[in-house]
Amino acid sequence: MPHLNRVAAGKGNLTDPKHGITEAEAIERAKQGDEAAFEILYQLHKRRVYSLCLRMVSNPSQAEDLAQEAFLQLFRKISTFRGESAFSTWLHRMTVNVVLMQLRKKGLPSVSLEETLETEEEAPRKEFGADDVKLSGSIERMQLQRAIDRLPPGYKTVFVLHDVEGFEHNEIAQMVGCSIGNSKSQLHKARLKLRDYLRSMRAAKAQSD
Amino acid sequence: MKCSDVQQVLPEIIDGTGDAEFQQHLESCPACSELVSELRLISSESRGLAESDEPPARVWVGIANQLRAEGVIRDSETVHGRPVLVPAPARRWNVWWLAPVAVAILAVGSYQLTHKSASPAPAQQATVQQPAQPAVGQQVVQQPTIAEQRTPETAKPEVKQPVLTAQRHNRPAPSPRTETPIVAGNVKGAAEISPPASEEDQQFLSEVSQRAPGMRATYERQLRAVNTEIRETQEYIKRYPGDLDARQHLMEVYQQKALLYQMALDRIQ
Repeated sequence: MPHLNRVAAGKGNLTDPKHGITEAEAIERAKQGDEAAFEILYQLHKRRVYSLCLRMVSNPSQAEDLAQEAFLQLFRKISTFRGESAFSTWLHRMTVNVVLMQLRKKGLPSVSLEETLETEEEAPRKEFGADDVKLSGSIERMQLQRAIDRLPPGYKTVFVLHDVEGFEHNEIAQMVGCSIGNSKSQLHKARLKLRDYLRSMRAAKAQSD
Repeated sequence: MKCSDVQQVLPEIIDGTGDAEFQQHLESCPACSELVSELRLISSESRGLAESDEPPARVWVGIANQLRAEGVIRDSETVHGRPVLVPAPARRWNVWWLAPVAVAILAVGSYQLTHKSASPAPAQQATVQQPAQPAVGQQVVQQPTIAEQRTPETAKPEVKQPVLTAQRHNRPAPSPRTETPIVAGNVKGAAEISPPASEEDQQFLSEVSQRAPGMRATYERQLRAVNTEIRETQEYIKRYPGDLDARQHLMEVYQQKALLYQMALDRIQ
């Protein structure tokens, strides 16, 4: 599965259209405390960071706080950034860590507790009417977002990290603290649940139309 | 391959193409084909959510304010290549009046300040001459004292830095009770410029803990950051005692610390 622009973005060749400087240049200026440079870096990456937080916690106010904290942690340490890895990767991982830390503080499991209740052979319980409506073409973004919001925390975490953010299972396993097999299993169940939710949404919409 | 087999291996192979047996089954089984197709559609459509949402403007405002309070953000006119601690050379402020202001802010902001009598200012006091104003510009960058007063170092008889002069400053001397002049040109004197003692910070944090326990970690972190900046600036001044920009920066960092105390006071009252 291709990553989402992770390699291209990380080479420092993102250019801020307003100021005409590259990400690499902004990083160097930010190391010297240049506020405009910090803002450029923020503008370049704010959507990615905020969207990740919002997908993971499904709460805009919380997502704002988490996004803010992720940027603050990154900017405080920017003088230590040596460019060995991509800046966006660094920011990305920091954001994930901030969110996972928050989820752990709230006592929410990183991996779904349903793992202990369902056997591998069981399929998620189907919603009524879902079988009648097929998913094809494209999926309406709002519907998909609502469906993701409904996922149990553990499923949601793995799904967002893999399908939305593009992390590999070995990376997810390390971040979340589970096995690679567990990560794959959680992802599969998340997708099955989403399929079920989306089908039922479409069925409900078809009935109301 | 049966449908139940497909269900079993799906988590492992769905993101790839699967083997020939798997493909063959999909071609012959509409249900499994539909399942795989829809799961892949969900996955591919989800990629578009990675940057789908825009945070409100207040997120950046909060970040910028916090970075300024911690001294991470400095003036945007910073010259490339200059040391991090050195602000833009074009700025030349007369900062002598900042010392009593910073001291006043710190006194109001800290609940547990102890003001001990300062030792009288040394009779011999070197001043730093501004390169831009050789005839007039004389200023003394003074250290606000919010804690134990350290005995100011007497100037060494030998001034080794060529930019320094021993001219008396022509501004009214601040109260010796609250300020300790920085003895420029005296490497040892410059090295003795030290941040307010950590006991006061601990007392301040103790007050925060009592009145707003949930905020202690935040303020402790911020204090640590600003104290680190103070220490690093002082170390820089120790190496380059004639650097006016660095001394000005030190003054600004002290201001930030005073502001931090004030902000905490405002919030927890």
